[in-house]
Amino acid sequence: MSESKSVLIIDDDSDFVRAVQALLESSGYRVRSALNGREGLQLAKTTQPDLILLDVMMSERTEGFFLLQEMRRVPVLSNTPVIVVSSIYSDEPVFRVDPETGWLPANLFLAKPVEPAKLLSEVKRLTSETSEKSTAATGRRQL
Amino acid sequence: MPSSEREKTVFVIDDDEIIRLSCEQILHKSGYRVETFGNGYEGIERLKAVKPPLLVVDIKMPELDGFEVIKIVRKIDPELVIVVITGYATIETAVDAMKMGAYDFLPKPFTPSELRLIIDRGFERWRLANETRLLRKQKEEVERKFVTLVSHQLKAPLGAVKQYLDVLLYTCRDQFSSEAIEWISRSQSRISEMISMIQDWLMLAKLDRGVLCESASLCDLGKIIEETLQEYQQIPSANEITLTGEIAPDLVPVRGDKAGLGLLVDNLVSNAVKYNRPGGKVTVRAGREGRSIVLEVSDTGLGIPQDFRPHLFEEFYRVKTPETQKIPGTGLGLVICKRIVDELGGSIEVDSKEGEYSVFTVKLPAAESEEEVDKN
Repeated sequence: MSESKSVLIIDDDSDFVRAVQALLESSGYRVRSALNGREGLQLAKTTQPDLILLDVMMSERTEGFFLLQEMRRVPVLSNTPVIVVSSIYSDEPVFRVDPETGWLPANLFLAKPVEPAKLLSEVKRLTSETSEKSTAATGRRQL
Repeated sequence: MPSSEREKTVFVIDDDEIIRLSCEQILHKSGYRVETFGNGYEGIERLKAVKPPLLVVDIKMPELDGFEVIKIVRKIDPELVIVVITGYATIETAVDAMKMGAYDFLPKPFTPSELRLIIDRGFERWRLANETRLLRKQKEEVERKFVTLVSHQLKAPLGAVKQYLDVLLYTCRDQFSSEAIEWISRSQSRISEMISMIQDWLMLAKLDRGVLCESASLCDLGKIIEETLQEYQQIPSANEITLTGEIAPDLVPVRGDKAGLGLLVDNLVSNAVKYNRPGGKVTVRAGREGRSIVLEVSDTGLGIPQDFRPHLFEEFYRVKTPETQKIPGTGLGLVICKRIVDELGGSIEVDSKEGEYSVFTVKLPAAESEEEVDKN
């Protein structure tokens, strides 16, 4: 990996952001964060992170849900892997996370607090998947 | 029609024109809005649109009789107050009508004051039932808001504290003394206990509102068991417990909520693992017994002393013996199991021998039809 991968954390809980930012940085990721949805979407558009960690329940109950729907309509973010986190829900089935058909187009759901080892391995998996996909896409275009 | 008009409307269905006219006159004078119909079909059609609080209906009518009318309008509006008029005033017909949901009866011939009295009482009843319904709805709304509030306000800060500790221990473990590591680990597990307790409590609140019944579908219990066992097999257990599933090939689906059934199996397996001995076994069996599906979770563990058994399904109750002292738990797991089983129309029982085994047996009604099983 020539350049370190970047992660954007969007969450209104600044303590969660600090802890997870420290964890990701200790594993070599570049981390940016936003404490609300609007700022998060702006940062996502301008910085185009390799992965987004998104809390679905911010100050507005559905802020994260709508943000995610909106994000998927932005061409540069339509394929960015998103991990949804929440302290309210503890079960994935509630969300029906399904990037193909689901109404919540996230790649993964994790309950807060997230387990450090699990988060790191999933972030690694999801960020390497995208680079493979984009390499493949570039390859096809060259043909 | 404005609701103030609707709320004083009486429908009268009677094939006798004299009765219709006199009812209309008497009740109109008392300030009611009256609509009359010569037969059941017309009355029912109009009732769907107007939804009046009260219906007066004659029992003996050609075509559709009073009993048929009651049967149909009960389905349209369960809150409707029905008064039956009975010409041949036998107690039996009146009782039959009451059994079908009529509120009161009026034997022919009746005086204007008798009619007014019964109609006034009927309206009072409707008003009270309406108020009760409204209050119940408000209460449920308050409870729902409270649950959401508590979940966010309690879970979020606890989660943040645990997140710091998790990251601290993960990233800086080598900078701590062994005692510091132990203290942090203890803090983590105490916070985890509290988080699980809030989660269980929220689950109970959800079950109280009947949320799990809303999404009932045909579920493959065998698949749910396999998935649960797989999850437990992936977690390295300190006690080296062997988990086995024995699912009968003729197992038929269960009608229920998949998440609820998953939680049921998970809670029972979790207990069987926790209250086991090093090197012990947990066996989950599912099979058919007549019209029931039987789920059995057995362990080779500590067993439950006789005295504790009657209280197992009580909230926050935990078996307290020297052996169970250090086992974490919320005292809500089996309460949740019992509520889920109750909601699915089943039963749960326990058999145990102290120091040898415990077996939890759940019986659930087998799904009758051959609908497509929910594979999701």
